[in-house]
Amino acid sequence: MKLNVIKQRSLWWTVSLAIILSGLISMVISWTQIGSPLRPSLDFVGGTRLQVERDCTNPDNCTEPIDPAAVREVLAQQGLANSSIQILGETRQGVSIRTTSLTPDERVQLQSALAENLGRLNPQAIQIDSVGPTLGRQLFQSGMLALFLSFVGIAVYLSFRFQLDYAVLAIVALFHDVLITIGSFSILGLVLGVEVDSLFIVALLTIVGFSVNDTVVIYDRIRETVKLNPERHINDIVDSAVNQTLTRSINTTLTVLFTLVSIFLFGGETLKYFALALIIGFTMGAYSSIFIASSLLAWWRERTGKLTPVAIADTEVIDSPTNPNDA
Amino acid sequence: MGRQRLLLALILVLSLAAVGAIAKFPTRLGLDLQGGTQLTLQVKTTPAVPTITPEKLEGVQQVVENRVNGLGVSEAVVQTAGEDQLLVQLPGVSDPEQAERVLGGTAQLDFRTQRQGTEAQLGIEFQVRQELLAEQERLKNSTDQGAITENQEALRRSDQAIAALFDKTELTGDKLRTAYAAPLSNGSNSWQVGLEFNDQGATEFADLTKSIAGTGRSLGIFLDERLLSAPTVEARYAETGITGGQASISGNFDSQGALDLSVQLRGGALPVPVEVVENRTVGATLGRDSIQRSIYAGLGGLLLVLIFMGIYYRLPGIIADLALVIYAVLTFAVFNLLGVTLTLPGIAGFILSIGMAVDANVLIFERMREELRAGKSLYRSVESGFYRAFSSILDSNVTTLIACGALFWLGAGLVKGFALTLAIGVGMSMFTAITCSRTLLLVALSFPGLRKPELYCPNLSNLTQEKASS
Repeated sequence: MKLNVIKQRSLWWTVSLAIILSGLISMVISWTQIGSPLRPSLDFVGGTRLQVERDCTNPDNCTEPIDPAAVREVLAQQGLANSSIQILGETRQGVSIRTTSLTPDERVQLQSALAENLGRLNPQAIQIDSVGPTLGRQLFQSGMLALFLSFVGIAVYLSFRFQLDYAVLAIVALFHDVLITIGSFSILGLVLGVEVDSLFIVALLTIVGFSVNDTVVIYDRIRETVKLNPERHINDIVDSAVNQTLTRSINTTLTVLFTLVSIFLFGGETLKYFALALIIGFTMGAYSSIFIASSLLAWWRERTGKLTPVAIADTEVIDSPTNPNDA
Repeated sequence: MGRQRLLLALILVLSLAAVGAIAKFPTRLGLDLQGGTQLTLQVKTTPAVPTITPEKLEGVQQVVENRVNGLGVSEAVVQTAGEDQLLVQLPGVSDPEQAERVLGGTAQLDFRTQRQGTEAQLGIEFQVRQELLAEQERLKNSTDQGAITENQEALRRSDQAIAALFDKTELTGDKLRTAYAAPLSNGSNSWQVGLEFNDQGATEFADLTKSIAGTGRSLGIFLDERLLSAPTVEARYAETGITGGQASISGNFDSQGALDLSVQLRGGALPVPVEVVENRTVGATLGRDSIQRSIYAGLGGLLLVLIFMGIYYRLPGIIADLALVIYAVLTFAVFNLLGVTLTLPGIAGFILSIGMAVDANVLIFERMREELRAGKSLYRSVESGFYRAFSSILDSNVTTLIACGALFWLGAGLVKGFALTLAIGVGMSMFTAITCSRTLLLVALSFPGLRKPELYCPNLSNLTQEKASS
């Protein structure tokens, strides 16, 4: 298999732009509908999620699935009519209710009202997630800050290990991966009502930390080849560097995807969308390293005339419209 | 080869020690895995305390710890988080409501004196409140939401009316050393509540009791603006007040009532109010279910990676598999040794790191194949594979560590767990990929039977033949 990354770069750029654009459109639509580009979970906006299950040690308790209408009625009685309800489990004996932030007293009241209408609840299977609105904002802000800082940290490290333009372009590729992941979840939020929680920000950060690996490996190879063959054209160098590292990129992404798919399938509800975000992000990370980061670097070096960026000493060569080193 | 043998012995010893460590040190499971309640308490400022100093926060932590002990939860953890928050972890709590009430009850205890000429009014208000409370009991079993809300409103108004009859004093709960319930010695079924103040509290209490002794006015003990108890002071204390910092409240207490009041008094000594801003409770069954699922996910992921590596990279792949298993065991041992609390996201980080750990090996083996295809000898290929892949391995791992650092520094609770486990994983994987795989591979090369290039790179002979013929 031999890829012609440079020749087809306009194709790859169009593909990426199209995906990013559809994500952005989804975010705009989402903004007009729910006032937020992604559907935020209570981690970020505050609220209470109460998940209860019927106690089925007494079989009479669990003869029929839980009726959402009955739950809705209970909620209406408690003045919580616009809460969301989700019936859970194979036998439909559990229910997850998402409401505005409840005080402990209000929540206890809701619990006892539910127990009264649905039958005895299993205290061992209860799940409560209650986040105050202020704390939710804090979680969101510190998450965003963490994301920003890791971008800066990686940019600084890469410009130290490589050169500034390598670093900038690697960050561009990272933005690409993060944007597509966010866009995908915006679409998922619109279509399936998928919410993003603090684990989503963790996923974004992990994508940032991991996806840059592929880019680094390719850049490493480009740098090495440039050093060995300073007279070769940058397009040629990039093409062969991508192809030389291609198997590695695919295999590494594959092994990570194996573990992620395993988490997605068996890891349970909490980790499911976390794994999905990572699957999307990592796949995009491999894609962008191969098709975007590399072709951008070739394009940039060609445009600025720095076709033979050999050693640090050469960086003081000022860009010139004609290329003095062209072989 | 002597150095290789030494390293091999080291790896063997480390692995055995790791297995021992896993067996000896228990894995600490997060509340989301074992079930339990995690509360985040926000410490709030008041006009009197406009900023939360570390000392204040520590004071609050102390009180909260006392209250947690009062709950009788084993292995509870109370730690500060940030500048003005406390994290309370209560493993295995099946009654999160009680925990929330006891810990988050903004419970500020203070002592107040009744205003002159309000004796009759207090009696009436008291009567109203008793009736409202009785009604509340009745309503608990009904579904008439309107009536319940109305009752609560009325109770709130009643509390306010009662509070209006008292004057605040300097004596607050932080000057109360302890409170306890004890049966009255007169043989009846009545109980009393004993109080013990610190030195400053003792003086203030003496002044306070002196001012109202024998007047028929009462000493109001308020918890969170609500009257807990309104004992009167006997006339014989009119001269000096109750001195010595010790007092007892007797009245219509049964044992439960006395116990409740003493617990409230003891726990009430919060210097500033707190509020529960986060509650995450996971039932024990759900926690067990999560562990089960994590084990499946981990084993599933590990197995897929092992199979893939073995098939694709042949002998080096199998060696990488061995290194990967050693990696998993070592990393898990480090978790246990460092006392890392495993949470659900933490496990995800661990499983993910299994997938990432082979990256270094993939890089090395790809390099190795290139060198082989370029016609280098097997031994040279292995050596330069490791040597030349190192800079890529280092760079890629450092970037992951940067992201982990940001997560650990800024993340809260569960997020920290993920960052820590992933970072430990990345660090360990560099060690095992470079040291373990390399040593094992070089040892393998020392067996003549394993020195066939086809074991390292399939189709190599075809490739070289093609080259020769072309």
